[in-house]
Amino acid sequence: MKIEDISKKTGQLVRIEPEDLMPLPYPYDDPANDPVMKEVTQDQKDRYEASLDGILAIGIPKPASREEEERLVRQFLSGLEKLLSQENNWTFLQPLLHSLDYCVKCQICNDSCPAYIASGKKEIYRPTYRPEILRRIINKYIKKRGGLLSRLTGSDIELNWTLVARLAELAYRCTICRKCAQVCPLGVDNGLISHEIRKIFSQEMGIAPRELHEMGTVQQLKAGSSTGITPKALGNIVEFMEEELEEKTGKKIKIPVDKEGADILLIHNAGEFLSWPENTEAFAIIFDAAGISWTLASDLVGYDAVNYGVWYDDIQLARIAVKHAEIARKLKVKKINVGECGHAHKAMIVVADRVLTGELNVPRESAIPILADLVLRDRIRLDPGRNDFPVTLHDPCNMVRLMGIVEPQRQILRKICLQFREMEPRGVDNYCCGGGSGFAIMQSMNFPDWRSAVSGRIKLKQVLDAFRDVISPDIRKYVCAPCSNCKGQFRDLFNYYNVNEKCGIFYGGLVELVVNAMVDVEKPFIDWEWH
Amino acid sequence: MAKVTLGGMEIEIDEDGFIQEPDKWNKEVAEDLAKVEQAYPMGEDHWKLVNYLRDYYLKYEIAPPIRMLVKQTGIDLKTIYQLFPGGPAKGACKVAGLPKPTGCV
Repeated sequence: MKIEDISKKTGQLVRIEPEDLMPLPYPYDDPANDPVMKEVTQDQKDRYEASLDGILAIGIPKPASREEEERLVRQFLSGLEKLLSQENNWTFLQPLLHSLDYCVKCQICNDSCPAYIASGKKEIYRPTYRPEILRRIINKYIKKRGGLLSRLTGSDIELNWTLVARLAELAYRCTICRKCAQVCPLGVDNGLISHEIRKIFSQEMGIAPRELHEMGTVQQLKAGSSTGITPKALGNIVEFMEEELEEKTGKKIKIPVDKEGADILLIHNAGEFLSWPENTEAFAIIFDAAGISWTLASDLVGYDAVNYGVWYDDIQLARIAVKHAEIARKLKVKKINVGECGHAHKAMIVVADRVLTGELNVPRESAIPILADLVLRDRIRLDPGRNDFPVTLHDPCNMVRLMGIVEPQRQILRKICLQFREMEPRGVDNYCCGGGSGFAIMQSMNFPDWRSAVSGRIKLKQVLDAFRDVISPDIRKYVCAPCSNCKGQFRDLFNYYNVNEKCGIFYGGLVELVVNAMVDVEKPFIDWEWH
Repeated sequence: MAKVTLGGMEIEIDEDGFIQEPDKWNKEVAEDLAKVEQAYPMGEDHWKLVNYLRDYYLKYEIAPPIRMLVKQTGIDLKTIYQLFPGGPAKGACKVAGLPKPTGCV
């Protein structure tokens, strides 16, 4: 397959066959038993652009006419021009230009890409394939360096609707885990290029996965959370969590909401409230036991740390980041701490630095180092004997590779888990869970199958390898994933491969393990049925 | 988005079969959705779950936390999966006429 094939109207460009996929270890070593990836229906193929690989992440409606196609191509080009201008892309222009200009195509990044390796090295998923398309379009249609020379040097490309539609889907086959950037000797960030392509489609053409935009950032700004939780619903859920806390600990533990002047405004990913409330409850138990001054916020957006804008749209990102900072100012807290959510770490703590200036530049930190501090200084009484089962640790890309929060979670686990073991590779060299950059919440049509069978495949292999010696389903094992998004991906990945039943592997967050080891909490906190 | 006939009515559904017009939901619509979800015929426990989800949704405009659903109905998670093979979110919520769950859930 060549770069220019992306423009060819030849039907589906790539087909993923089960026998192409990277082999998995026992008990998944027989490819014949690999679940069959769902095909989209013929009706969906007729209505949506599915000619990349038959997978639908966005589901772009097919244009009604030739004129419509041409209009969309012109829009794409106009968006690309803006992407290359300081005025319109002051946020990311410098790393974008660096990545476009400095790649020497040494391909050293290839083996770091979870989708590329797991797919059996499909050319379209190669981390350098997507950027090269963009580079060629820029050279020919913006810098006008095309013509005879590019045809002779084999760097030609034809910009048409087929290319544009495929490129949009292709921008959603990269989890933006940035492991490719980690290994690049020149600091080229091909993950960033996926992000920048997504921006063209969202900001200029109004094209983005429904889960990220309409039901994501738009819903968060309007209803308060991408989950749809309104302030009223939050009140009900907090009440429910307090009841649970009393049942589990035998103590009345208050979850403070809107407490002015608290030291810490703790913001969780609101998905925790609905799917993993034991995580938010565990934070409450730990902070209560350690006497920390903290609060949740109930203002719109203030109780949901997520900012899906970080995956596809700078404008939406800025709108949400500003809300978070304003609420912290209103509550007069000393700082914001982000709970176990990797993308919120990236959006609120790192990227928002480009937006939050002056009074809005509220201190924003991860909650993980606080936890390490409490555990290591014995601010809470712990008995590691209560966590006497095999535990491994998944490193969320944004927390670990991007921000360098590598040791605190390990210091905790070494102290409170008797059978902690690392997976390989780990730390900043980790592999993505396969659900990064919005994938874990993109639940429509056949995309969930792709992210289990392809982008999550290498993570499944890592987990199975880490538990190789205790793989029997009779031994309960725990993958600690301190990130809501990664947890959602593990849940779906484990269901897809029936990992729970076949291997006895469960998943959950970090604070649950801490509370499970707390001497003052009489009953075991981890309720295996829920992991 | 496509239109299908559920409970004798034309109702718009999304690509994954969740109804887009929650006001049109009734018992017959639920039963037709249950057929798609391999949750038919619906017994007492099916209705207990569906009615709880429905009532919570009308009050709070979202589905409740799954733990709350289990606690309030007294039906454990394993049984929910037996009753609705699609699970509480993709199965039971769909039959109850709720929109597809969104966000990091």
